[in-house]
Amino acid sequence: MHGKRLATLVMAALFGVAMALFLGRGSAYAADSAVSKLDQQCLACHSMEGMEKELADGEKLSLHVDGSKFAKSVHSVIGCAVCHSTITLENHPPSNTKITSVRAYSLEMTKVCDTCHGDIFKRYKGSVHAALVREGNPSAPVCTDCHNPHAVMAKAAYDAATGTPCSKCHDPIFKSYAGSVHGQAALPCSVCHHAHDVSAATTGDDLKSACLGCHDGVLAAHQKWLPNAEQHFETVSCAACHAPDAKRKVDLRLYNNVAQKRVAEKEGVPQFENRALAADANGAGLDAMALRGLLHEFNSEGEDVTLRGRLEVSTGVEGHRLLDKTRAIRDCAKCHRQGADPFQSVTVSIVGPGGKVLRYNAQHDVLNSIFSVDSVGGFYAIGGTRIKLLDWLLGLALLGGIGGPLAHLTLNWYFKRHAKRIGGKEDS
Amino acid sequence: MPRIYVHPLPVRIWHWINALGFLVMLFTGFQIRYIGLIDLLSFRTAVVVHNWIGFVLIGNFFIWFLFYLFSDKIRVYHPELSPLKHFRATFRQAMFYGYGIFKGQPNPFHVSVYNKFNSLQSMSYQVIMMLLVPLQFYTGVLLWDIHRFSGMINALGGVRVVDTAHVLIFIFFAGFIPFHIYLATLGHTRTAHLKSMLTGYEEVEEEQEGGK
Repeated sequence: MHGKRLATLVMAALFGVAMALFLGRGSAYAADSAVSKLDQQCLACHSMEGMEKELADGEKLSLHVDGSKFAKSVHSVIGCAVCHSTITLENHPPSNTKITSVRAYSLEMTKVCDTCHGDIFKRYKGSVHAALVREGNPSAPVCTDCHNPHAVMAKAAYDAATGTPCSKCHDPIFKSYAGSVHGQAALPCSVCHHAHDVSAATTGDDLKSACLGCHDGVLAAHQKWLPNAEQHFETVSCAACHAPDAKRKVDLRLYNNVAQKRVAEKEGVPQFENRALAADANGAGLDAMALRGLLHEFNSEGEDVTLRGRLEVSTGVEGHRLLDKTRAIRDCAKCHRQGADPFQSVTVSIVGPGGKVLRYNAQHDVLNSIFSVDSVGGFYAIGGTRIKLLDWLLGLALLGGIGGPLAHLTLNWYFKRHAKRIGGKEDS
Repeated sequence: MPRIYVHPLPVRIWHWINALGFLVMLFTGFQIRYIGLIDLLSFRTAVVVHNWIGFVLIGNFFIWFLFYLFSDKIRVYHPELSPLKHFRATFRQAMFYGYGIFKGQPNPFHVSVYNKFNSLQSMSYQVIMMLLVPLQFYTGVLLWDIHRFSGMINALGGVRVVDTAHVLIFIFFAGFIPFHIYLATLGHTRTAHLKSMLTGYEEVEEEQEGGK
């Protein structure tokens, strides 16, 4: 063979090998029969590292899919075309679909998740995460923020060591949680917070039910040593005693007595904030009279609204630091004492649209003011939130009860002395 | 000095259980409310003792109540219905305690079996036994188990309202008890009335002829 022809042959052979290698990259997972031939075609391009598309707003949307992870995932049996049904080999690349932003694309694709995962999606729609998405919050999570659809494993979204995906947004909470008795047992967040129908932590009884769901017989255990145990369970959050290092506060919740639930605000009608701002004359927080006024306004619509107080932990971060029960607070005087720290910080709250709790600051002396006996009638901690005026009355009563006799005795002694001096008759 | 039997045994038993009970309730109540100011009992112990003695006193109340209900002695608790008579008697008694007693004048009121309370006493005891004590028991029971009685408590305006009523009556008794003890020393001797509440017999003045 002549040199030129040999060189061409070698070049062709080398090119062929290169192409085979290039194309054959895809077939590394053909051995894993999980990926279909069609999917292999997609992955031929999309397994390229760094493959991305520039969007209208200048963002870059990654188009890279890790083929081996996809093969191992539970979606590999479904394949690419089921979710990406609008894409065909004929119409792309380039794709004609206009994608305005990464976020818009994620939101759009949730419809695809819904088609197979309908009941989970329904639960998600009722969650505080979905409510935030509806409000337009750009950080609120949709399906793909927690689940990588190309690498999804059965029920394994959560990683106990790092707290992902929850810690992506809730990292300070995760760090606090990691040191707690539950975190050290590597319990995932979803055990208490339900992955998809996450509700705002302080609404309803979800969290209390979560505690009581695992911890059997706790009421009976508390009744052994705690007077009014049931009332404590009603008024005090579990974390308030079981996260002993946490700062505590009182939340006065607007409560509808007839409907027997917390007052909830409708979307787009920010009554609570408007009314609270209007009532707060100095911006120093609602005082007793302002609180009465606010309550009166809520009652003026013919509803029977009262305030129900709850003693809870000040921040979510602290609330996750639940420690072993031997460390729990058992000293009554921690709260049942004048000037106890839970009563130095007070908020008034309502359930906002989507279930998130809206709070407004109140001055701490609304808990023990004579002017709020009626409005804060439902919250009272003996010894901790007593009304000063009654202390004065007690002083007066003791003065009268002891001073009166002393005065009487003194007069008696005086009259006797006087009678003696003028030689008068001495009677008892 | 002749004497008449004015305090039957059930009444005396009831009175001394009450006396001791009230002192314990006042003390434990004070400790519960003013934790931080005094520290003689732990909060929890004070609550437990307060609850137990509270129920003892409720039972004790029924000794008094049932005795008088089924006895003709209930007349001692009958109120004076004539406003004029009542006002006259009250004024006269007040004048005695405020002035006459210092001058050695005799007590205008004469004890008898069916009329052992002077006007001031009967007024006070009626209010105390028929209103204040039952109300204190009632609010106390509500506070003993707030969750169980939450319906009633909410109907009354909430736990703070119930507790305020309980504390107001506590304040009254905190003043009344020392006063009551002192008034008991205003017999013809300092210990005359104490003795009669122990023996049942009140010594009466010679000139007296039966009851009013």
